[in-house]
Amino acid sequence: MTPVEIPVEKWSGAVREVTLGSSYGGGTRGSTVSVGGETALPFLGFEGAMPHRPAIAVEVQDMHPADWSAELQAAWGDAMDDAATWAQKAVEAGADLIALKLRSCHPDQGDGSCEDAVRTVERVLAAVPVPLIVYGPGSADKDNEVLVAVAEKTKGEQLALGLCEDKNYRTIVAAALGNGHAVIAQTPIDVNLAKQLNILISDMGLPLERVLMDPNTGALGYGLEYTYSVMERLRLAALMGDSMTQQPMICTAGEEAWRQKEGRAEGDVPEAWGALAERGVAWEISTATTLLESGADILVLRHPASVSAMRDALDDLTKGA
Amino acid sequence: MSDTSTTKPRTAMASITFTPSGETIEVPKGTSLLDAAIFCELDVPAPCAGQGRCGRCRVRVASGEVERRSNAGMTTDEILEGWAVACQTYAGEGAIEIDVPERKKEKVRPHGHAIAEPESLPITCDYLQNPAVRTFSLAIDPPTLEDQTSDFDRLCRALTQQHGIEGVRAELPMLRRLGKDLRMANWKVSVTLEMRDWVYGSYLPPRLIRIYPDAFPHASMGLAVDLGTTSVVAYLVDFHTGRVVDSASAYNKQIACGDDVISRIIYAKREKGLERLHKLAVETINDLLEELQVRNGIELYEIHEITVAGNTTMTHLLLGVDPRFLREAPYIPTLSAAPKLVAGELGLSANMLARVHILPSVGSYVGGDITAGVISSGMYATDKLTLFIDIGTNGEMVLGNKEWLLSCACSAGPAFEGGGVRHGMRASPGAIEDVFIDDATLEPTFRTIDNAPAVGICGSGLIDLLGELFLTGIVDKSGHIDRNAPTQRVRVFDGVPEYVVCWAGEGGAQKDITLTESDVTGLLRAKAAIYAGFEVLCASVGVDLADVEQIFIGGAFGQYLNVEKAIRIGLLPDQPVERFHFLGNTSALGAFAALLCVSARLEVNDVASKMTYLELSADNTFMDEYTSALFLPHTDLIGFPSVSAALAARGSGNGNGG
Repeated sequence: MTPVEIPVEKWSGAVREVTLGSSYGGGTRGSTVSVGGETALPFLGFEGAMPHRPAIAVEVQDMHPADWSAELQAAWGDAMDDAATWAQKAVEAGADLIALKLRSCHPDQGDGSCEDAVRTVERVLAAVPVPLIVYGPGSADKDNEVLVAVAEKTKGEQLALGLCEDKNYRTIVAAALGNGHAVIAQTPIDVNLAKQLNILISDMGLPLERVLMDPNTGALGYGLEYTYSVMERLRLAALMGDSMTQQPMICTAGEEAWRQKEGRAEGDVPEAWGALAERGVAWEISTATTLLESGADILVLRHPASVSAMRDALDDLTKGA
Repeated sequence: MSDTSTTKPRTAMASITFTPSGETIEVPKGTSLLDAAIFCELDVPAPCAGQGRCGRCRVRVASGEVERRSNAGMTTDEILEGWAVACQTYAGEGAIEIDVPERKKEKVRPHGHAIAEPESLPITCDYLQNPAVRTFSLAIDPPTLEDQTSDFDRLCRALTQQHGIEGVRAELPMLRRLGKDLRMANWKVSVTLEMRDWVYGSYLPPRLIRIYPDAFPHASMGLAVDLGTTSVVAYLVDFHTGRVVDSASAYNKQIACGDDVISRIIYAKREKGLERLHKLAVETINDLLEELQVRNGIELYEIHEITVAGNTTMTHLLLGVDPRFLREAPYIPTLSAAPKLVAGELGLSANMLARVHILPSVGSYVGGDITAGVISSGMYATDKLTLFIDIGTNGEMVLGNKEWLLSCACSAGPAFEGGGVRHGMRASPGAIEDVFIDDATLEPTFRTIDNAPAVGICGSGLIDLLGELFLTGIVDKSGHIDRNAPTQRVRVFDGVPEYVVCWAGEGGAQKDITLTESDVTGLLRAKAAIYAGFEVLCASVGVDLADVEQIFIGGAFGQYLNVEKAIRIGLLPDQPVERFHFLGNTSALGAFAALLCVSARLEVNDVASKMTYLELSADNTFMDEYTSALFLPHTDLIGFPSVSAALAARGSGNGNGG
């Protein structure tokens, strides 16, 4: 038998390395998380390096998310009433980072003040040693207000601030620039738009080593294939040396998966769907695994069981790499 | 059998009287006022073809009952005064009186040269050896009782004997007057012949166009027409010398029925719409004919041949062929090559027997204006890889050389012609055409056409202005205006940021002239569509834009384009300036070549039938290239080295970071 030669692809480009969290210069983190740096497609150790294992963030909100699936409410229980407690439980569950969403500041969700937001961030920072991702409430003007306040009060912590979008990025980027933070640039599932926002952010002078990109994610059954191909194209472009696509990717797999009816519907569904208890988590894991394979560097998850399942998956995938 | 035939309920009718013209028309209730006005052949402008978008078809309801579906953009006071948007206002029942405001006469001559200038012909043109139209002097033997040959045979015999011309044909209108004409001229005549027919190379024998007494001074002229969507240009050509003796241009009168081809196609669907568009196309050409006739002291019957180059829609409309299928998938023209026609059939006021050649088109959106461009540019005969572009409402482009030709058309929208831009306008006096913005003060300096007080910004001015706003950092790469730019000239109006390029009162301007962020978005879309066309065209044959050896810019707008500034916004590829060549009005030049040279006519047919047409809506890479080009200058900065260098030179790039 003739031995089969496995073709090995050599790439000229590499993904940029981005580090979140800092323990000096104002930073108080016990651990930091670095992502990116790949010189090959995900988990293809024989073609190139994947110096950092993809990280897992757990989403925590600053108010009890009553609209979340009953499954998630049951999993986190009372911890959901307090962001700091929730974050602690998330770290216990295996989170490498906390993704804190300042939802209560949204004009439709109580219009909480910047002071409250800053206080919440500070309490979470005090409660856990891991780095923080901080999302604004998701309303452009309020995002700008809140994230600027947070950025200033947490100078040096090297947070990731989100979301920057093409219509609203200047204020957030400026806040990150002046206070040593990173940003998350989100664009709607398109290679060119992702690239364009990276260019705009970089034009403001923020080093690209402080930019994560969120290519926007669809859940399993809700456009995941499209997301997959866009992420793969972004990663291929990065490896081929296209500088403005070389940002590590962050994917909100949990939010997408749990938003779908498969993660929430109970009772009136076909028997073949199985019990919600397993279905929701399975949906999140399937979504997250696919995204890992297409190049995700940070997965933002919601269910503790998904977190441990994805940690196992990563152990397997990186074995021997 | 039942005899319950009840009287059919009569449709409620309205009787509309238009003032001041006094026309009255009976229409069914629910007829739009615009339709009624078109029926009465009244001059009510409808640049958006009655889609209720432009609000230009204003009339005043003096009395009577109407139903308003929209009052697009009118103030309450205006509505109270009775003003209504004609296409969105429908007749009720009974007598209605509508006041049609008199239109301010637009200056009808587009900016540009209307003077005669020597035009060059493609090198392969063999006018002297093989002219399309020739005139011969004949001394015919008068008939006698002994020589009973018919008049026509006698004429043919003399042509053969004296000039070696055989097999001449004559049409019935010519034969009807032949006997009288020969005798009045006392058998000494000049005859003008169309030497050869050119349709698909089938050589038909010469055809008699005109006969007149040899003793009279006479001219033999031709007309080459570029029938553009916006402007129409006509060259008057002397067949004796083969030179352009004069040219004239005017706006296409169809503009009143829609600004762009799509609006015209929509307008053609209205009752009598197609008829009106056909009439207006003919009228526009006839007006130019008349202007040239008066200025040059010739007679209209001395125009012996006409060639027309126009886009596919214009061709359909000139022929009175319904263009609607051009707009419906899969976008098929009714015809690409027109049948043989004479001026009389179309209503053109030249010699009624003058042949009218309409240059053939390639596809729905690559028309005879483009085949004309390929011919006049000579790209069909060169070894060099050439890109020919004609930028207007549609960006049409052809890539290739003498071996192959590939074409496509991208819908750029009317932005470069000033449409859809708040202070956009066509290139006419008072249009800002040239802008410079100071790096430090962010103050503009500009020039207007004819140095008239500024009234708006034309296409070249828009490209200039956008390029300047971009390089000075007022507009970022995604086309957003920086609201915090350190200048009074950036302000927010109705929630939309804008840059004031000219304050009211500055140089006599009546109002503030601005470029808004929405205008910038429109311009970005226009330039992205065109640039994406280049990319798709090149990619489809596996060449790189940088491999293109020469870039020919044709079309009316091309003449005023500043290449460097067009590159700056990513409208044109960032290639060395020497590769760009301005060819002027290539459509008119192609029509001119086809008028004069039989060889050019054969070649233009050959080109049209050989050229491959790429339908972009069937190409899935177009959208990707478009999004990529929807950025300043482009998402792929590597393709724009000179712009990158300019940005770097202006201090760490664009934007207010640092």
